[in-house]
Amino acid sequence: MTKLERLIAPLGIDLPSAVADGRVIGMAGELPDSLPDDLLDGCRTIIHAAASTKFDADAAGEPARTNVLGTRRLLQLATSRRVERFVFVSTAFVCGRRGERIPESIDIAPPAHENAYERSKWEAEQLVWSWQSPERTSLIVRPSILFGDLATGRSTNFSGLYLIARATELLSRAVYDDSAIDPRHIALRILGSSEATTNVIPVCQAASTIVDLALSPHVESGVRHLAHPDPPTNDTIKQWLEAYFDIGGGVFADAAWPLDDLNSFEDVFYSLGNTVRDYFRNSASFDMSDRNAIDSCLPNMDQAWFNRCLDYALRTNWGRTENGRDTGRNGKGSVDPQWYFEEFLPWAVPQSAVAAMKALTTIVRFVLEGLHDGEWVCRFDQGRLMEVHRGRNGLREDFGYRITPEAFSRIVTGRAALQAVFFEGQADMLGQADLALRMVPIMSTFLKDFPVGSGGPHA
Amino acid sequence: MPESRAASFDHVVEEQVRIPCDGRDLCGSLAYPDRGEAHTWVLLAGPHPLLGGDLANNVVRAIQVALAGAGAITLSWNYGGVGGSDGGPEDWEAVTSAFWESGTFEEERGWVAEARHVQAYLRRQCDGPLVLIGYSFGCRVMMEGAAVDEANAFALISPNPNTVDFGKLAATAAPLLVVHSTNDFTCSVEALETWYTTLREPKTRILIDAGEHFFRGREDEVARSVLSFVDAIGYS
Repeated sequence: MTKLERLIAPLGIDLPSAVADGRVIGMAGELPDSLPDDLLDGCRTIIHAAASTKFDADAAGEPARTNVLGTRRLLQLATSRRVERFVFVSTAFVCGRRGERIPESIDIAPPAHENAYERSKWEAEQLVWSWQSPERTSLIVRPSILFGDLATGRSTNFSGLYLIARATELLSRAVYDDSAIDPRHIALRILGSSEATTNVIPVCQAASTIVDLALSPHVESGVRHLAHPDPPTNDTIKQWLEAYFDIGGGVFADAAWPLDDLNSFEDVFYSLGNTVRDYFRNSASFDMSDRNAIDSCLPNMDQAWFNRCLDYALRTNWGRTENGRDTGRNGKGSVDPQWYFEEFLPWAVPQSAVAAMKALTTIVRFVLEGLHDGEWVCRFDQGRLMEVHRGRNGLREDFGYRITPEAFSRIVTGRAALQAVFFEGQADMLGQADLALRMVPIMSTFLKDFPVGSGGPHA
Repeated sequence: MPESRAASFDHVVEEQVRIPCDGRDLCGSLAYPDRGEAHTWVLLAGPHPLLGGDLANNVVRAIQVALAGAGAITLSWNYGGVGGSDGGPEDWEAVTSAFWESGTFEEERGWVAEARHVQAYLRRQCDGPLVLIGYSFGCRVMMEGAAVDEANAFALISPNPNTVDFGKLAATAAPLLVVHSTNDFTCSVEALETWYTTLREPKTRILIDAGEHFFRGREDEVARSVLSFVDAIGYS
């Protein structure tokens, strides 16, 4: 099952059938420089929603590589194929988070951006805006913060506000694990203003509005904000989160990271990084010339909808499994290594940070001691997991690891660190030790992000 | 002096301390005997943070407890971004990727530079002889980051002369201990021998018949070697 197929299947769309009867044409490619020549043959309208959502610039050049260079490349193709309409999905925060109301227009001077993502979207907007002509329409849509589907709470992305919810869940777990702590009086300083707003809208509403705009021939070149005209305050969001996770005590503080005398609750809450630290510190309001499209859903945007989104997020363990089932375990509760190597890894690796590691081209062998035929060989090519074989099957590994089945289960479920089982003598390295060691931080990050027991494809 | 008490072992008190470092704090472990007056000060730099190098490292821990139990005040620390220490690389994914490609990366310099701050923190409190001890990556930290000329003795555990410049040792006359495994993938015994012969006296070398670079199950042997060395030069 392809990633696209898996993502849209829950919407009732049978992708293979749509492809078979010609309604959908699938083309594999990658922005900015790996697009098929016939990508836009016969195409009149482009909805460009592909983006890197990395907030901070990385060594590979993201997010600018995908968002700026990718948009430039697509516009060049659109010009050569005589495309008439280019709809670019940007972000309402493209103008930074300045205090005044943000207009539905293109800023010529670069505003003060909060991060590399906002900057890349701003640069891409400039390119799209320059593309328009009497024969060509450039339409820039700027959604605010996207949250789950209005009816089901479904989402396929769990960054942004979801990270705040994850941090709250972590905090909730920590305080309920300790009977000495009163969960409703947690000493937590939330960096930001209680009166400022969090402009959040349902993803379904943003998507349908974008499609409507793209298909309306009378819509001219311009900018449209897809934002909530009456967004909840940060304090409201806090109350919803506290009610959902049954904790309390957090207070907004006019302070910035790093905090002095960080307490243990704050240590947990802010452990998810900069997004959580900065989230409530900045807010923005947005002009909206066309409120009708988005107003239709306003009566239902309340705590019940917010809770549905959190229900979905928890049921899928923040997107790690589509339907909440998590198997791959045998009757004794240990993880089935065949399932792990042959199903879980091919599912998880493409979604992980490993996939972005273009330098990772190697062959790794994993040996589960004492297990009949308990060897798997994984071949990585530029971060992609190209093959997984049980046994060697002609692949000669560069290095590998030997591990007991018991330690394997502890590691892949996140109950033990790689280094810990190594020093317990339950794991060892094979082949080129320096390469095996260099792979350790890569695997540690992967195991932290994708522990079994909290998601994955079902067996 | 130390800010908070964390644990007490047999005859050894260990305290968690916050060490100022260029506008941020590092998390350190200060261990010392629970009675009597300490007379030797020891600074310990651990292995690479991406390979689990932290205060709990088996070798660092064994040496620290052994020396503190014998009367020394010992200080080790978590490198920036590790286990409660502020700072560290901003983009861990990028450094992980760079580490895979070359086994090293630019941001390591930040960890190396911490040694001077930690040493200054220790120096502000000590007036006795100072022993610098590095293990694996910690050898590089001591050679490139610490004020080597202030040291009264050195102990290098699993040094890798193939990648680290130990030239600064030539400028001091402080006694030197080198502890090495017979099967260390980072540096063969032959390469170690060749390098060792170039070092000035006084020096001591101890080969431990360990399985590898990590001294699993041989931590106590490493610690005893260091302790014997410190005894022999009269600093215990």
